[in-house]
Amino acid sequence: MRNRLAYLLALALPLAACDRADRAPGSEASKEAAGDSTIAQGLGSDSARFEAAAKAAGLDTTLAGPGPYTVLVPVDGAFDKLPAGALDTLMKPESRPQLTKVLTNHILSGAILAEDIARAIENGGGKTQLMTVGGGTLSAVKDGDAIIVTDSTGGRARITAPDGKHSNGVVHKIDGVLMPA
Amino acid sequence: MRNWILAAGAAALAITVPALADPNKGQGGQKAQKGTQAKVERGGGQQVRQAKPDRAQRQATVRPDRGRDDSPRNAKSQGRGPDKPIRSAKVEGKSRPLTVDVDRDDGVRIVRRDFTGGIFPGRGLANGCPPGLDKRDNGCMPPGQVKNLLGARLADNYASAMVPFAMRNWYPDDDRYLYRSGDGFIYRVNRSNSLVDGLIPLFGGGSYYALGDPWPQPYDFYNVPNQYRSLWSDGEDYRYRYGEGAIYRLDPTTNAVNGIVALLAGDLGVGSRLPMGYDVYNVPLAYRSQYADSSDAWYRYNDGYIYQVDPKTRLITALIDAII
Repeated sequence: MRNRLAYLLALALPLAACDRADRAPGSEASKEAAGDSTIAQGLGSDSARFEAAAKAAGLDTTLAGPGPYTVLVPVDGAFDKLPAGALDTLMKPESRPQLTKVLTNHILSGAILAEDIARAIENGGGKTQLMTVGGGTLSAVKDGDAIIVTDSTGGRARITAPDGKHSNGVVHKIDGVLMPA
Repeated sequence: MRNWILAAGAAALAITVPALADPNKGQGGQKAQKGTQAKVERGGGQQVRQAKPDRAQRQATVRPDRGRDDSPRNAKSQGRGPDKPIRSAKVEGKSRPLTVDVDRDDGVRIVRRDFTGGIFPGRGLANGCPPGLDKRDNGCMPPGQVKNLLGARLADNYASAMVPFAMRNWYPDDDRYLYRSGDGFIYRVNRSNSLVDGLIPLFGGGSYYALGDPWPQPYDFYNVPNQYRSLWSDGEDYRYRYGEGAIYRLDPTTNAVNGIVALLAGDLGVGSRLPMGYDVYNVPLAYRSQYADSSDAWYRYNDGYIYQVDPKTRLITALIDAII
């Protein structure tokens, strides 16, 4: 926990609007399955801070691109759980590599629904792992009907709004920020 | 502050003792030393340089349970011969993690400090490298050495140093170029003269270029992986380059990064074992009816491709579909 706090204090994210809609080409089949909106377009008003952070890191183009990705999106309130000043530090230009590393710890390859995670948890005897595109490992367990995701520093987040389907992937809203090792 | 001190202390240790594996003690150490030697020749075959041990240290951050170690994210496995499976583990040391690579046949290969991990990656270091060495993307080589690789002749013993499984479809050999790997790079070799005319840095453990970063000149050629070339080609408005686990969009006037258009995991490839972390079904929604897991076959998506996996052995047996 101490390391996690120290890491958070050393980083930070700025907040701005992410209004890019330059959709990269995607398959017609994908559009039929999940509609036309991209992850970038469909993050929602409760995720403005994540959206702004993604834009600051240059990942807004990724989330508007073909994907597909599964994104665990911390809602705005999740960032309030960070130590004071952590977000501001992460958002500084000199912290952009760290910011990108934090954000990519929330992005997984492919499209993963909550039921897919639940099935893997069941098959794994109560626990499964998720590999992020940034190379991090997250673990997932069930808590009643909910799924709890834990990062490699011990930070936990609950999936509060699963299965937001988009043309380029899936969004699960979570109530915590998942830090990389 | 305590973490700062630990990080600085570990960095100093790593600089003064660049490789913990003693090349004179045991087979594993010998193999490790051998693996760090550059095999690039200039002109008529005279060996012109030897890689610094620091370079090998920086080649990749290894994570446990990631399956085969020839993943691009585990770039240090390059140059050790084609497709030889090794396994890895990260061990927590007192100050910084130790990375231990274990050869399935020969025991311990390399033990070294993790330069890029830790609580404050890069802090006290220069972009994750020891002071005086170059950026993180080139294995902490001294400035200038990377350029020396370009235009050099790749040694014959690299002929079988194939690109890691997960990237083999990204950079297939064609009529003009061969792609081989080693020392943390993919070498693009011009068939007409057998000279290296392009370098692509392999993964560095999740360290990305940031907006505004200038694109390194030694890597400045169109190197977008094969499956994404129809999406992103160089034009008047933008250039696109691959490196460090992502495809970057560059401003052609400044050659600086102004966007990340795709994140690549580099985790799956035919012939490799499905890594932990891919037990979860992740096939894109539109393809699920076509590629549903069964007792005979699993399907997993990664970097533009859908792969078939043998559930019993966890071996990735086929590339089923390219969906970009």
